[in-house]
Amino acid sequence: MNPDVLWRYLPSLISGFGVTIVCWSAGGALGMLLGFAIALARRLPLPPLQWALRIFIEVFRGTPFLMQLFLLYSGGPYIGLRLTATEAGVLGLGLYSSAYFAEIFRAGFASVPRGQIEAATSVGMAPFDALIRVALPAALIASVPSIVNMLIVLSKETVVLSIITVPELMYQMQTMAAETFTAFDAIFAMAVFYWLLVEVVSRIGARVEARVTAFLAREGAAA
Amino acid sequence: MSLPMIELNGVGKSFGAHEVLRGVELKIAKSEVVCLIGPSGSGKSTLLRCVNFLEPYDVGDVRIEGRLIGYEDAPDGTRRSMNARKLRDMRREIGMVFQHFNLWPHMTAIGNVAEPLRRVRGLPANEAADRAMAMLTRVGLAAKAHAYPSHLSGGQQQRVAIARALAMQPRLMLFDEPTSALDPELVGEVLEVMKSLASEGMTMLIVTHEMGFAAHVADRIAFIDEGRIIEEGPPRHVFHHSREPRVRQFLQTYHDRNSF
Repeated sequence: MNPDVLWRYLPSLISGFGVTIVCWSAGGALGMLLGFAIALARRLPLPPLQWALRIFIEVFRGTPFLMQLFLLYSGGPYIGLRLTATEAGVLGLGLYSSAYFAEIFRAGFASVPRGQIEAATSVGMAPFDALIRVALPAALIASVPSIVNMLIVLSKETVVLSIITVPELMYQMQTMAAETFTAFDAIFAMAVFYWLLVEVVSRIGARVEARVTAFLAREGAAA
Repeated sequence: MSLPMIELNGVGKSFGAHEVLRGVELKIAKSEVVCLIGPSGSGKSTLLRCVNFLEPYDVGDVRIEGRLIGYEDAPDGTRRSMNARKLRDMRREIGMVFQHFNLWPHMTAIGNVAEPLRRVRGLPANEAADRAMAMLTRVGLAAKAHAYPSHLSGGQQQRVAIARALAMQPRLMLFDEPTSALDPELVGEVLEVMKSLASEGMTMLIVTHEMGFAAHVADRIAFIDEGRIIEEGPPRHVFHHSREPRVRQFLQTYHDRNSF
């Protein structure tokens, strides 16, 4: 360990950490929005749309993120998609995670007991109201643990962005390692930053989960 | 003579190759309480669910005060599905209570009762809450208005479910084994609420295994077996004087079980 080197590179590591957080949160938010839209669209009785969405999910879940990112960043210009490295990184993370989020939300909707929808139907509620007021809250609540899990996985996928020169933590770490021949110190510093991030995310996740499922707790446990 | 509240004519329903209902005939007058009994798998619940078209029937007519539910018959004899909006308008006049309560777990008791008033009847929030509170008071649960379903006993949950259905001011009520999922000591409170409803003149069709309740509260008992109503009449008649071997056999198991 060489504290001097670490100290000298700390600003660039912190800036890399910041870029990581920005890419991760923007990509995760995009993925959740897109995934949610896909999950909703998968409930529509339109066969061609269903095939298209199935293919989308299979492609983005079935191929390595690294490959998707390369195609997006290097292949994008061929279809008129000129993106900076960071834009491509965020969009890539969003597309990649949307396939997983779509499945998470689909499972969430599937977990809503049919009886709750039937109760809404029996009082004459319109399908849209039943979806928004009954199915949606229950589905989202059921999805929280899987969402947190996916966000943690996604936070670590951000390292791949270094390959297309997004100046995130991995990229800064590699720069430091290459310039100072201190591979171990650099990796160690990176591990600490990631551990910090994942720890914070999972703690927030646990809080959110406890909060949104509070009403499911039995008397006493809730108080 | 006024139209029957519920009228079933030749109602048939199949799940794939399995014929669940085979030409069911049943008439229920306004303010009448009819209990539907029979062995499990006989089609009781399916029949009940056809009345508000939660389960689409294949053939025959189900009419609510003379109006066909679920389908529209054209003058040329063809039949097509009822417009979704019209179907919803009919459904909101028919209260339904389920075996497993089916309360919405993320809403409080009062939230569960007020929700349909707001979404379906379009009442403003405060009016919906007032009416919901009145309904919860009626089923004896005003004190639990702000509790979530998971904090209520099964009997309390079922009473909230009854309040939710009643708040819509339905013209008739359907009960699908309302006490079957309850611990024995919680059955009474739900039956009490149902009894008071019956005495107020609510038209009720009840699928139940509570023979004592059926005997005391029902105006008529209908016994269903293999998708057909094979016996129908006042409780005294069905329980003690039925000539149908299937009915006698079914009731015998109840007598045996209750005489220990």
